[in-house]
Amino acid sequence: MKSIELIREFLHERLEIEAERITPDAVLAELGVDSLTMLELIFEFEDRYKIDMPEDTPFPKTIGELITLMEGIIASNQAAS
Amino acid sequence: MKPRRVAITGLGLISPYGGDATDFFARLCAGESAVRYLLTDDRPRPVSMPFVCCPDFDANAALGRPLAILMDRFCQLATAAAFQAWDDAGFHRARNDEDRDRWGCSWGSSLGGALAIEKAYREMWLNGRERLPPSSVVMGMHNSANAHISIQLGLGGISTSHAAACASANIAIGEAFHRVRSGEAVVMLTGGSDTPQAYGVARAWEALRVIAPASADHAARACRPFASDRAGLVLGEGAAALVLEDWEHAEARGATIHAEIVGYGTSCDHDHLVRPSAAGQVRALHAALADGGLDAREVDYINAHGTATAEGDPTEIEALNTVFGPHAPALAVSSTKSMHGHLLGAAGAIEAFATVQALSAQCAPPTAHLDDRLDPTCAGVEHLTSASSRPLRAALSNSFAFGGSNAVLAFRAATA
Repeated sequence: MKSIELIREFLHERLEIEAERITPDAVLAELGVDSLTMLELIFEFEDRYKIDMPEDTPFPKTIGELITLMEGIIASNQAAS
Repeated sequence: MKPRRVAITGLGLISPYGGDATDFFARLCAGESAVRYLLTDDRPRPVSMPFVCCPDFDANAALGRPLAILMDRFCQLATAAAFQAWDDAGFHRARNDEDRDRWGCSWGSSLGGALAIEKAYREMWLNGRERLPPSSVVMGMHNSANAHISIQLGLGGISTSHAAACASANIAIGEAFHRVRSGEAVVMLTGGSDTPQAYGVARAWEALRVIAPASADHAARACRPFASDRAGLVLGEGAAALVLEDWEHAEARGATIHAEIVGYGTSCDHDHLVRPSAAGQVRALHAALADGGLDAREVDYINAHGTATAEGDPTEIEALNTVFGPHAPALAVSSTKSMHGHLLGAAGAIEAFATVQALSAQCAPPTAHLDDRLDPTCAGVEHLTSASSRPLRAALSNSFAFGGSNAVLAFRAATA
């Protein structure tokens, strides 16, 4: 599954946000994604891809930053394994 | 601050019958049991017992999915009941112009987020999961119900939970009542919720040998308080909520006042963890009457703790005979647990709900399944075996918990 699809599925299930609003330039806070929701999303991401996100990872501000972050971690995990 | 009168202006509950508050009370008065047979698919051995569920409760419909998904079931039931009570009181959920910084929430639950905690263990120990979602913390915490309620209703005063086994809700309601009466709070949202179907909880209660036997055919009649053939208690899930409001505040805004809450008495048996003591209960009853400025002869109805255990029922009647003396034979008593089951930490809430409705309707609900089978050791009071319309001036609701924690609430019919 592509990162954007995972994010869309998660935000629709948790916050009932329509998929069309999940675009790269959408600001997470404006979508209603608070710190607890972000932690849940990171957990879901880690669980789905069986990876660990470094604890010191700064929270992204937009959907685009979130995608970049997730895909970077997936790539580095694949390179390491 | 001078003592104030405290009005009950809002009532809400998640009914095991599936209907609304009016329907719930009508069914209690009809002696209709909500007890069903529960058989789970738990491993290694399923739960098989009579039980009271709220099968029609739809958390997503009541709360909206984004809110419901962050809650354990006891918290979903609590918040949905609180919303109903709030609406019934005529308040808006969003803060409007009024200052709610001295409004609070006091919630009762014996088990709190037991289902969420149990699910976490199950995932790790049974299903081999290595980690848990971060929301497990906020779903499992005991104060999640009052926290969510305070956030949703914009209550800026105290927000707390009370855990005292089966007396949890009576203590939560009593503490809320005292805060309004003292003037510390203008409005308190209070009540209780519990979900004893948690596997570890249900099996533990079973081991204590106080649960009525399982029978798919006769589950509805499983709980028979005060009856000579009583065979134990029936656990149930649920929630009920009350809005307690400064009397003058309620009158000034033209609110409907269902009844008045006037007294709250507590005690500890300081005797035994599970064996009840009439002496301890007598002290709580006397304390509630004194706190409410009530003469024993003014009390026309008692919603008994009446769990249908061998020792509990006669002990409670002994306490009532001691406190009410010559008035006892004219004292109408019933245990509505015979129909809605024992909601543990929410018992006091659903029974306060029933007691307030009895005062409001001037009709006392019965103990179901008691016809012609009264245990002589439970005699001395007027046991209602069918609903009784009569003048009800004041009423008490008893909760006597394991641990010896006793709490009694006193109510009066609403009169200006």
